[in-house]
Amino acid sequence: MIWAVILLTWEGAYRVIGWKAYQFPAPSHVLDSTLDMLNVRAYFGQPLHRGWPWRAKNQLPDERPRSPIYRSPLVIAQLVSGTRLVVGFSISILIGGMLGLLMWRWRGVDEFFGPLFLGMQTLPSVCWIPLAILTFGINESGILFVLVMGSCFAIAIALRDGLRTIPPVYQKAGLMLGAGGWRLYRYVLLPASLPAMTSSLRQGFSFAWRSLMGAELIFMVWNRGLGFLLHVGREFSDISQVIAVMAMMVIVGMIVDRWFFAALEKRVHARFGLQAAR
Amino acid sequence: MTIAEEEIRTGSPPPPADAPKEPVGRGRLVLDKIDKTFPGTQMAAVRQLSLTCEPGEFVVVVGPSGCGKSTLLNVAAGMLKPEGGRVLLDGRPINGPGPDRAVVFQDHGLFPWLTAGQNIEFGLKMSGMGKEQRRHRVEEALRMVHLSQSGRKLVHELSGGMRQRVAIARSLVMNPSVLLMDEPFAALDAQTRTLMHAQLQDLWVQTRKTILFVTHSVGEAVRLADRIIVLHAHPGRIRAEIAIELPHPRNFDSREIGELVHRVRREIEDEVNRVNAQMAEYWKPQTPDDLGGHLVDMGGGI
Ligand SMILES: Nc1ncnc2c1ncn2[C@@H]1O[C@H](COP(=O)(O)OP(=O)(O)OP(=O)(O)O)[C@@H](O)[C@H]1O
Ligand SMILES: [Mg+2]
Repeated sequence: MIWAVILLTWEGAYRVIGWKAYQFPAPSHVLDSTLDMLNVRAYFGQPLHRGWPWRAKNQLPDERPRSPIYRSPLVIAQLVSGTRLVVGFSISILIGGMLGLLMWRWRGVDEFFGPLFLGMQTLPSVCWIPLAILTFGINESGILFVLVMGSCFAIAIALRDGLRTIPPVYQKAGLMLGAGGWRLYRYVLLPASLPAMTSSLRQGFSFAWRSLMGAELIFMVWNRGLGFLLHVGREFSDISQVIAVMAMMVIVGMIVDRWFFAALEKRVHARFGLQAAR
Repeated sequence: MTIAEEEIRTGSPPPPADAPKEPVGRGRLVLDKIDKTFPGTQMAAVRQLSLTCEPGEFVVVVGPSGCGKSTLLNVAAGMLKPEGGRVLLDGRPINGPGPDRAVVFQDHGLFPWLTAGQNIEFGLKMSGMGKEQRRHRVEEALRMVHLSQSGRKLVHELSGGMRQRVAIARSLVMNPSVLLMDEPFAALDAQTRTLMHAQLQDLWVQTRKTILFVTHSVGEAVRLADRIIVLHAHPGRIRAEIAIELPHPRNFDSREIGELVHRVRREIEDEVNRVNAQMAEYWKPQTPDDLGGHLVDMGGGI
């Protein structure tokens, strides 16, 4: 609601004062740009005229055929970035989870790697890009490498800290009830660490998403991801597209976080009777 | 340091004749000259402590805070390895925690990701029992602790007393030889605790498990025990043993019980004063009497 007011004010101010669209676009320009990336022609940004918003002012309808929506740049970019995210994040969970588990289980591992990982976590993920280019070259592996490096340390640290908060009494109770060896891990420690895991995943995801966008933006080749669209927008000085893509990144990040990770966290917390997660 | 050994015999008849007894000989727990010093500490937590719980006996350990009660229980459970001495259950040495020595923890230790029923089922599942049989046993166990209606509730949806009852059911369903309880009712309010005492006694009369029970509360000890062990602090060893041969369930208002409570309390008071006097030698903050005065209650209400 408050957002609607802000957007309308912004749009109104734009129309009254007459800013230049190439300096700073109005919401309507961003909307046009978004639709354009979806292979839909629209002219919300133009003053009201006959045929608004689907036809440009004083122009014949553009009859050149465009490919269908499902093959539009934005849809492809979402699919490409989404796939990279799923693949990269899975690798990251595996590696980060393993590291976190090792650090929790063996003190020596933690003392050796703990400070190192904490330091690496503060390293912005784009700093991995030069290394990725030199090691893997400009290709998918390079992008995935950046994503994994950007998120697995955060996952490891969060998981270790979470595992440490498991009350020792669960372990004792499990042993007492005959859950020894691997069964202690499977039936006691794994479920006991669920709250820790969900929050470490949630944190890991935001790191992963940021790293991926950074990597796609800077790997300036035809990589078709969302970050690449942002790069194209800049190359063509298309400020509306730049903002449209940025908005898209925020929206995707928010939706996954809210509807997936936060929902998961909420369910786990409800089960454990913990305070409602925010 | 002399260890006062005394035995008080009060009242007469043994437990009601109709109480079904398990064949004697199962559940004999022997702690033999246990030594335990925690790494990084100089004083032994437990030194040369020997204690035998006969099958079907209800033994309660009391003593000032920090005297090694929990340590003793954890050694018996196999959660702590003693440096010296042996723990034997029915003649076999104990090397680690196991379902034959079920523990009821002070803070219940139930798994919050499982329902009450699933918590009770957990140990059976680990032992590889079939599903149908498990369900049957869980229902029976829930009935036994008067929780038939609450089997599907999550742990955080249960009251404190209900949680402890689930924890007891979870232990009993494993049909252990010995039940080890570390201040299981300490976190409950007085009324619930009284109720739990009655229920625990019923259960004990029904099942005749050997029980080793640790508590702060002298009242609790006198109410439940066949035999009370008063521990001596720094290092932990046995200061006194008091056998109580009153029939169960016990009338708490009787004169004999009152006298016993008084007697045990005095024993512990002496011990607390001794410990404080020892402390005062190091720091001399106040006279030992001042210190002893407000510690006499021993946190009986905790
Ligand atoms: N993990 C540990 N590491 C070092 N010292 C310990 C540890 N656990 C217990 N102790 C020490 O061993 C002694 C006995 O502790 P224990 O927990 O057995 O006391 P307790 O009789 O159960 O006391 P309380 O009634 O307060 O529960 C104490 O002096 C305590 O400081
Ligand atoms: Mg204790």
